[in-house]
Amino acid sequence: MNAPLTLKTGSECIIRSLGQDKKIAQRLAQMGILPGARLLVVRSSLFGETLEVCINQGQYLALRADEISSLDCEIVAMPLSANTVKTDQDYRIRLLSGGKAFQQRMEQQGISPGTVIQIRERNKLPILIELVQKKKRVALGSGEAEKIIIEIIDDPQR
Amino acid sequence: MTLKDKEVVVALSSIPNTGKTTLFNLLTGSSQSTGNWPGVSIEKKIGHFNLGEYQIQLVDFPGTYALSPLSHEERVVRNFFLKTPPDVVLNILDGRNLYRGLGLTLQMAMSGLPMAVVINMLDEVRQQGIELDIPALAAHLGLPVVAISARTGEGLPEFQHVLYQIIKNPERTRLPLISFPPVLEEAIKSIARKIDRSNKIQSLDHNFMALQLLEEEKASDAIQDQAVVRAVKSWRQRVESVTSTKIPITCATCRFNAARGLVLEATHQRPIPPDARSEKIDRILLHRWFGLPLFMLIMLLLFEAIYGLGVPLQETLAHAFNTGEVWLLAQQYITVLPAWLQSFLFDGLWQGIGVVFSFFPIIALFFIFMTLIEDSGYMARAAFLMDSLMHQLGLDGKAFINLLLGYGCNIPAVMGTRILSSHYNRVSTMLLIPFTLCSARLQVFVFLTAILFPPAIAPWVLFALYIGSFIAVFSMGLLLKSLRIIGKSEPFIMEIPPYRIPTLNSVTLRIWQELKDFLYQAATLIIAGVMLVWLLTHFPTDVPFASAETWAGQLGQLLSPLFSLLGIHWQETVALLFGFIAKEIVIGALAVIYGGADLNIQVAAHITPLEGLSFMLFTLLYTPCIATLAAIRAESRSWRITLFSLVLGLGSAWIASFVLYQTGLVMGFK
Repeated sequence: MNAPLTLKTGSECIIRSLGQDKKIAQRLAQMGILPGARLLVVRSSLFGETLEVCINQGQYLALRADEISSLDCEIVAMPLSANTVKTDQDYRIRLLSGGKAFQQRMEQQGISPGTVIQIRERNKLPILIELVQKKKRVALGSGEAEKIIIEIIDDPQR
Repeated sequence: MTLKDKEVVVALSSIPNTGKTTLFNLLTGSSQSTGNWPGVSIEKKIGHFNLGEYQIQLVDFPGTYALSPLSHEERVVRNFFLKTPPDVVLNILDGRNLYRGLGLTLQMAMSGLPMAVVINMLDEVRQQGIELDIPALAAHLGLPVVAISARTGEGLPEFQHVLYQIIKNPERTRLPLISFPPVLEEAIKSIARKIDRSNKIQSLDHNFMALQLLEEEKASDAIQDQAVVRAVKSWRQRVESVTSTKIPITCATCRFNAARGLVLEATHQRPIPPDARSEKIDRILLHRWFGLPLFMLIMLLLFEAIYGLGVPLQETLAHAFNTGEVWLLAQQYITVLPAWLQSFLFDGLWQGIGVVFSFFPIIALFFIFMTLIEDSGYMARAAFLMDSLMHQLGLDGKAFINLLLGYGCNIPAVMGTRILSSHYNRVSTMLLIPFTLCSARLQVFVFLTAILFPPAIAPWVLFALYIGSFIAVFSMGLLLKSLRIIGKSEPFIMEIPPYRIPTLNSVTLRIWQELKDFLYQAATLIIAGVMLVWLLTHFPTDVPFASAETWAGQLGQLLSPLFSLLGIHWQETVALLFGFIAKEIVIGALAVIYGGADLNIQVAAHITPLEGLSFMLFTLLYTPCIATLAAIRAESRSWRITLFSLVLGLGSAWIASFVLYQTGLVMGFK
């Protein structure tokens, strides 16, 4: 079960089951949001308690983070800054959510969508990542890490 | 069955945000009437129009996601369909996203009622480059399908033709096929057979009834047959143990699986493109840091627009009423009337009517802006922004706007609770609004603080009263939440609609409707209240108006043991009684009661600062005015809630003033 705080803007999760909270489960089911649906967190409110999510069927919904966490969700994508990222895991960069200048700066360092990375150091700043194919280390600030959305690679291909 | 001789009942059904109300307005224009569903504070909207030789009664419902209810709104819709099935169902779909609504469409279609599907928002569908294959959808659903744009009126003739044909030939040929798990299919068939045998003539399909009973325990209200109820119970257990999922969720899954297939057939389009324009606007309006300040700014402008324009208009209207009174009093046929009758007509009846009309400009302005905010789609965003705070009170973010606007005037704020999303939200907000410091109370406070406190302190006293009001709203909210008398709050799942430009038509219709409602539903109570106060202050007739010997004066003295504990003299108690009509009157009432020349000197001589503070706190908390009570009664349709509001106000006012005054005395203030 996920702690609500892990669902930062840019995270995506897949609903595995609708969980035990009967009312929420039933309401989501009535709205056509069923196991298998993907939730993309579009934005969160100031304190992160309320989330705007986009469902892959094209609905935009506001939900509370603690209500999402009553569902059984599997997180498939998250910003690099999320507290669920692990150091012994391969990740693929899904997108760079910042502006053009940010994207160019990242690409100059070899970070672009599709790049496979591992996280070397995440508990203190700067965050250290290794570009797996290039065997190159890059240091990132927390603001940069927040704009890099990564997805978990289940079956590492080296 | 021929439908020629009676009105044909056509029910509109859809999920929220499909433009149902726009279609309702398009079809019925201003020939609408609002009432309420028996026993609940949920609006029942009915409109009429003619189609060929048929007279049609169109019934509008709150948007619902399914026929198995989770909220009060949905229960109303379900009861209507199960207990008094309409002649024709019109199901509305949002053309940009068919999937969302098809779950309900399929559920409705299974009922076997004559039905048509209306795909709305054709203009936006085209803008987004979505192509719809309407014949394919119609073929799969086994229902006539027609596409329109309720905003522009496009496709209306085709729609009317389709509706006409259904009314003329209401027989359904087949029902849509949805595949359920075998055990559920078996359950449905077995229960349907039992319903067949129960010999009750049902216009609803028996398989549909069987599924309804399985999905929702309470649906068995609609069926009295005990054999059926027992069968449903045992089947439900069996199905749930086989599928290891709750039946409503199994059913929803099956329906939406079918819906997904239908969408693939009917739309020549990849996944729905995100709404780029809304996303662009939201990047600013819902910005993590700027979103809230921008919201506050918009609210401030709204507040200024409503009350900056409304209050002068209100004063003009009041002036016109006074001029009218003076003119009427000078008329010969009036002057020959006995003095008591003149007083009754003018101080009682005329003033009551004046109070009713004085709210018209503010209510109209309020609803102009509320409709703009709601129809544009910003309301959902505001709810998102304010959700964290309001969640503490068990409310959702939308209620914040009502509470905030209560600081201008309570009446439209209470009327505006209608747009809130659940029964809990509506009732709770409606009970909290009276604790907001409205502009009428502000007048009393400005006047009293100026007399009782030195200029350096007076603004701080006012400020403290505002803070007191915030605290009162918040703590009452927490109290209501913990007492759970209104029931439990509902989970917060709110759709965020795309931004749209509101139509003039919907704004004007809304204002017309609100003013009409206010006049019909609140006016009587307001005028009755004003008359009651007139009666109390003018009788017996042989003593001076509002003096100690009148009924009001006697009441004030009778209550003095209660109020002297608060430092409030009987004269002020009478003034508080007047404040019941409208808070502005309190000052005028004090002037009359204390008599004498200069009210400032009188007040300064009779009331100490501490007593004044206690009096103001009482004024802040006790029932705002008869018009607010009338609005609460009209919106909640419940005398219990109205009475509760009155008791809550008076009780908390007494306790707060008591604590303030007694603590003040102990601490040596005067």
